[in-house]
Amino acid sequence: MTTINPKKVEPYSVKGSLRRKLFNSKTLILMCVPAIIYFIAFSYAPLPGIYVAFVNYNYRKGIFASPFVGLKNFDFVAKSGKLWTLTQNTILFNLAFILLDNLLAVTVAILLKEIQSKSFRKVSQTMMFLPYFISQVLVGLLVFSLLNSDTGFLNVILKGLGAEPLRLYKTGDPWPIIIILVHLWQKTGYNSVVYFAAIMGIDDSIIEASMIDGANGWQKIRYIILPSLKPTVVILLLFALGGIVKGDFGLFWNLVGRNPILYNKVDIIEMFVYRATVSDFNFSTASAVGLYQSLIGFILVLTVNAIVKKIEPDYSLF
Amino acid sequence: MKKILALLLASIMVLSLCSVSFAEDISVENAEAVWAEKWADVDTSKHVVINYMTTGDAPKTGANAEMLAQLNAILTEKVNAELNIVWISWTDYLANYNLRIASMDGTIDLIGSSTDWLDAWPNAKRGGFLELDKEMLEKYAPVTYATVPQEHWDVCTYEGDIYFIPEDNYSQWTNHGFAYRLDWAKEAGLENGCQTWDDLTTYVKYVKATYGDQLIALWDTDGTAYPAGGYICSFAKWRNIDGLASGAIWGGYLDDPYTINCLYLVETDKLVEYAKLMKEWDELGVWPTDVLSNTGADNRLEFRQGKTALEQHHTQTWTGLVSPLASTDNTMYLNDEDCDVGFYYWGKEAGYVTRDLVTHGVAAVSAASANPERTLMVYDLLRNDKECYDLFNYGLEGRSYAIDENGYRYTPDTYVADNDSISTNWWWGRNDALEIPSAAMNWDAINALYEEYDQIAVMYPYEAFVFDNTMVQSYINQCNEIYNTYMKYICFGQYSGTAEEIVAEFQDALRAAGVDEVTAELQAQINATYGK
Repeated sequence: MTTINPKKVEPYSVKGSLRRKLFNSKTLILMCVPAIIYFIAFSYAPLPGIYVAFVNYNYRKGIFASPFVGLKNFDFVAKSGKLWTLTQNTILFNLAFILLDNLLAVTVAILLKEIQSKSFRKVSQTMMFLPYFISQVLVGLLVFSLLNSDTGFLNVILKGLGAEPLRLYKTGDPWPIIIILVHLWQKTGYNSVVYFAAIMGIDDSIIEASMIDGANGWQKIRYIILPSLKPTVVILLLFALGGIVKGDFGLFWNLVGRNPILYNKVDIIEMFVYRATVSDFNFSTASAVGLYQSLIGFILVLTVNAIVKKIEPDYSLF
Repeated sequence: MKKILALLLASIMVLSLCSVSFAEDISVENAEAVWAEKWADVDTSKHVVINYMTTGDAPKTGANAEMLAQLNAILTEKVNAELNIVWISWTDYLANYNLRIASMDGTIDLIGSSTDWLDAWPNAKRGGFLELDKEMLEKYAPVTYATVPQEHWDVCTYEGDIYFIPEDNYSQWTNHGFAYRLDWAKEAGLENGCQTWDDLTTYVKYVKATYGDQLIALWDTDGTAYPAGGYICSFAKWRNIDGLASGAIWGGYLDDPYTINCLYLVETDKLVEYAKLMKEWDELGVWPTDVLSNTGADNRLEFRQGKTALEQHHTQTWTGLVSPLASTDNTMYLNDEDCDVGFYYWGKEAGYVTRDLVTHGVAAVSAASANPERTLMVYDLLRNDKECYDLFNYGLEGRSYAIDENGYRYTPDTYVADNDSISTNWWWGRNDALEIPSAAMNWDAINALYEEYDQIAVMYPYEAFVFDNTMVQSYINQCNEIYNTYMKYICFGQYSGTAEEIVAEFQDALRAAGVDEVTAELQAQINATYGK
């Protein structure tokens, strides 16, 4: 048995004047600078631009000199009568994505960790990662080549076997499942990386100790790995909830596109707004919709964060 | 003293008389003299680049670069400017086109636009285009200004300002219809080609049965062209108001054009009839099974190669299809010597077509342009200077084109399209006064159709009408979305249930989306414009 002899670490001084504190944390601050600049430039500086959602935007006058029209730009979404269905669809799809994404990603990460051969692990990880880099336009074409009625891979095989071809582009019902499957195929490899990293970060001595105590493989996962992943899961979940009202336009548009038989089953806010405004090119309407989505996302994050804080204060974001 | 004053007055009068008569006679023939006079005091000491924005895919041929170099040498000599073409490629062209105008960063000067297929009015109203006053046009684009009649300037005017220059002296027809294989129609027993929709149905049945196996599809459409309006207008004399939305939803009957209606609410019977017919076509297999997701197809190219049998577009496109030599892609003529292409235009059965809008092609100056004066000067040269015009429209003489003894343009033997062709997509400043007809065109067929049109053509009744959409744009967007959704069901027979049901559903959805509010607003503004 080896004795654990932790190295003595000098704690950061958090006492003294502000200047002293800043000086003491200069390395940390320096490391944060790129992120701080990023958020100032892309998140905080453009905030006043939200005002564009309340004006009749004129290119030459600019955002702040254009005539103010109040909530008129929000009319468009409200008047469609579809707002609630669209919001519901968007949220349900995202919930499915978030739950299945995390479930599958954790599973894959654990499986990867259990693979003993390093080269096999690398190869399988890379192969799962690759779909993430395929543009969604290509994904849309791949799916069409796979599923279309006349020349699709699936139907050519079915016809060859003497079966009736599946007319998937003429019926909307299977599309929620197809979209989720494609999404998972594309994203799982990428998502599992975060969890894989978290698992690799678990102190080996804890796992070794559990093995010595007689834990089997399943117990190791159940009592050591999963609890260690909990903070990561919660944080990723909170981040994901912020965008729950924002649909993955690229995925939906490229898979379903302009085909109403399909989109009537899987319509999300982005798709509707695109179809209804692409010929109008109105920044103000688009911003109004964006603002609506962000507000709902903001409220959701605050609520869930408050709940998390109640249950497990350490895991909350703020 | 009196004498001198009288002499002075007299000479002023004589001078002004001269200038008046001079202005009346301005044409491309005396353009040089006009420019010499008007531009004498314009300061062109600084060399500028005029960026001309057009839709289309940038050509990569050597001839194109050479043509631009020669053109720029001339432009530099005449107005110390050079031209650079900014291309907005066809993928999502409208969104990218509007975005480029909206960016207002001064990287474009001259903009090609249109009130019916590119958003000329919305961009003008949102402040994307520079207001062009008469003095400015008269000074910097004097030949164009003098040759465009006042009534055509009027239709480019909104709240007292001229926003663009119309391409109003170029003969073309952009009314839509079906181009089809006339030789196959004759084989099907239609000696005079397709004269009615029944003939078209006879034609598709025959072609499907006889040539179905050799074709990719009869019509390899992506399901985004909707001939429903064309079908109804083959029986009812109707004209829609252009430029409201991508869908042609509102308009009026030609015998009473200023009573506004929604076509799809007042012509229920015809729409049901059409939905039934298209269900028949769908079951016949006129288009691919997954027509609504068939986005990768290029039907026109396939038609040129003899692999499809229908192409839905306008007369101008048909003129290229009916002329064997007009395109190297027209290989259907090589493989089949009987090949011939007919055109069934919307309105044929009712016996009318609408003349092109003079604003179907217009040129505007970007509000962010640093050199609006020089932009207008360059435009005036491109439209009215023979040398510039030939270069910009036809390319290099002897390489891109040659002229035969009858004065027709043809491609020389050494011509290789990949190397010697040019393309500038100059659809906003062509000029019949300088056009050289192409020997490659099948003028017999084209002129016969043009003569037929001339007999039955009517004017577009809403030319002077510019709609203020502020109050109802959100309704228009909703209706347009409904229209685009249901047209796909109806025009390609993709509905379950009966034709009556899908049409009723479409009409209910339109009403719920506010179609009547838009009709009422249009009616009110039409009344104000035409004093009904």
